[in-house]
Amino acid sequence: MRILLLEDDSQLGTWVTNGLREEGHVVDHFENGKDALIAAMGQDYDLLVLDRMVPGLDGLAVLQSLRASKNSTPALFLTALGEVDARVEGFEAGGDDYLTKPFAFAELSARVGALGRRRDGGNSAKANATILRHADMTLDLLARRCTRQEQEIELMAKEFKLLEYFMKRPGRLVTRTMLLEQVWDMSFDPTTSVVETHISRLRTKIDKPFDTPLLRTRRGEGYVFGR
Amino acid sequence: MYLGGRFAWLLRSSTLRLALILSALFAAGMAVAVYVAISIGSGVFERRVDTTLQALMRASDLSGGRGDTFGVILRAPDDLDDLPRPFERTAARGGGTVDLGQDFRQSDTWRLLVGVDEQGAPIIAAVPLEDAEEALELLEGVLWSTVAAVIVLTLAVGAVTGVIAQRRLQRINGTLTALATGDLGARTGMTRAKDDLGDMARQLDVTADELERLVAQTRHLSASLAHDLRTPLARLRSRLEMLPDSEERGAALEDAERMSGIFDTIMRVARIEAAQGTEGFENVDLGPLIKDIAETFEPVIEDAGKTMSLSVAQAATVFADRQMLIQAVANLIQNAIRHGGDHIVLVAQDQAIGVSDNGQGVDPENFAEVIKPMVRLDAARQTEGTGLGLALVRAVADRHGAQLVLSQHAPEGLSVTLNFTNL
Repeated sequence: MRILLLEDDSQLGTWVTNGLREEGHVVDHFENGKDALIAAMGQDYDLLVLDRMVPGLDGLAVLQSLRASKNSTPALFLTALGEVDARVEGFEAGGDDYLTKPFAFAELSARVGALGRRRDGGNSAKANATILRHADMTLDLLARRCTRQEQEIELMAKEFKLLEYFMKRPGRLVTRTMLLEQVWDMSFDPTTSVVETHISRLRTKIDKPFDTPLLRTRRGEGYVFGR
Repeated sequence: MYLGGRFAWLLRSSTLRLALILSALFAAGMAVAVYVAISIGSGVFERRVDTTLQALMRASDLSGGRGDTFGVILRAPDDLDDLPRPFERTAARGGGTVDLGQDFRQSDTWRLLVGVDEQGAPIIAAVPLEDAEEALELLEGVLWSTVAAVIVLTLAVGAVTGVIAQRRLQRINGTLTALATGDLGARTGMTRAKDDLGDMARQLDVTADELERLVAQTRHLSASLAHDLRTPLARLRSRLEMLPDSEERGAALEDAERMSGIFDTIMRVARIEAAQGTEGFENVDLGPLIKDIAETFEPVIEDAGKTMSLSVAQAATVFADRQMLIQAVANLIQNAIRHGGDHIVLVAQDQAIGVSDNGQGVDPENFAEVIKPMVRLDAARQTEGTGLGLALVRAVADRHGAQLVLSQHAPEGLSVTLNFTNL
């Protein structure tokens, strides 16, 4: 993917740039809004990663200008303003996602990946599939049934939702924040170990009775389901 | 009552009330004055008539027979046979006012005196009082009409000033309501009025300006505070991630995450406390909400070695920020897990939602202390069983105008609920 990054903090900017490049993206890093806007007007990017607060023309203003000129490139805001109204402001300006500083690179990478797929139109057949399969695991979304190696596994409602989220993203890093937002609809961190507890319960049911574990933890980063 | 509808506000107008009271007082005062004036007036008149009659009698000489002249009767006391009987009776009494009950020579009231004439012979003199009565009645009529006119005028002026004052008060009220519900740009705009209401309105506008400035300043402050703290945190995090994979790196990353988690909570409490209006509010069914929360937190509670149950009864629908409610209850659960007993109950009853446990509870004397808002965070943290959690719950309660109720959960333990009854 060709990505434009607007980040005035050069250390953070370099870190993000290097990380995204390692993942095979082409990254143009700008430290001020004016240069970023000129570049975005002149070239076709697949994704914009914009810091909300930069001196002069900030990320919000850059995106507003672009959207006003009918540019629909997906945009992800990076911000030190984590509050809900700042988030809403970002979405209203035409932002597609919002990431609060400090963030794990894995979090950024996961969201960048998600926005890239949205740009490609996604795999609609896969998105609408009612039966998800991975290795020896099958999840029937309509019948609400889960089987592994032909064995029926009983799941609670939240566990089912959690597994569904993982099975739709096999092999990809999923962070705690993503799970809280997507599975529990919590835009805040409940500080108790909600995610860890449900993951552990899910593991007991889908991994413990079998030889090869499917759900792995990446400490300090998140979880990966499958290969 | 018709007035109860469209014009009810008129009765609440203090100006009109004042006008009504003044009118009533004025009417009462005038009634006394008129009564006194008429009494005095008729007394003075009678004395004047009496003096005239005395003079007439002394100047008369009845030796030539009756002295009747110009409507005045001048006779000897035994020569009253052609007059109505009351004349004779009054003469026998020694004089006074004669009430005939019917007209005699166009007057039903006469004044009769007994005296002596020029020669020293007894004589009576009588004069009709009809004209005087008429004059007094006229005077009375004029006075009462004046009273009525003044009352009507007072009420009219009261009503008009009442309506004007009411309009201006409504404007001030409207501005206050708008300010209270979060429209910090609301002003009365009553800049020209030079009276007391105008002064008040101007003062209100000045206060609103100051409020708006302070809120903007707070927002700006919290925004730059967030930026200034989050940027180095983000750098720290990025540097940690660049380190080679190790057990230590993972632990450090978790610490960094915890640090930003605490910071997020502090920021959130500050934001909730500074927030205005009902933006983001929706109708929330407390019953399904608490069940959803229970589904999420039951495993967490069980993993902490405790048990959980639900208590839902006639749970109502409240107008609230759903995310904030979940957050508040999550914090209460966290508190109960850390400091409460081994059984936790999630409660949704009527218009209240909350958490109770069977632990040691909090001494009721300390109830007020543990829910102190953000400013007393440090003190509250030292109090057993509370921390950032309750400060946030308190902020959420205040944001909703709900009551944060702490109570002893019989026979022991603590129950903390958000009560929306006032909404």
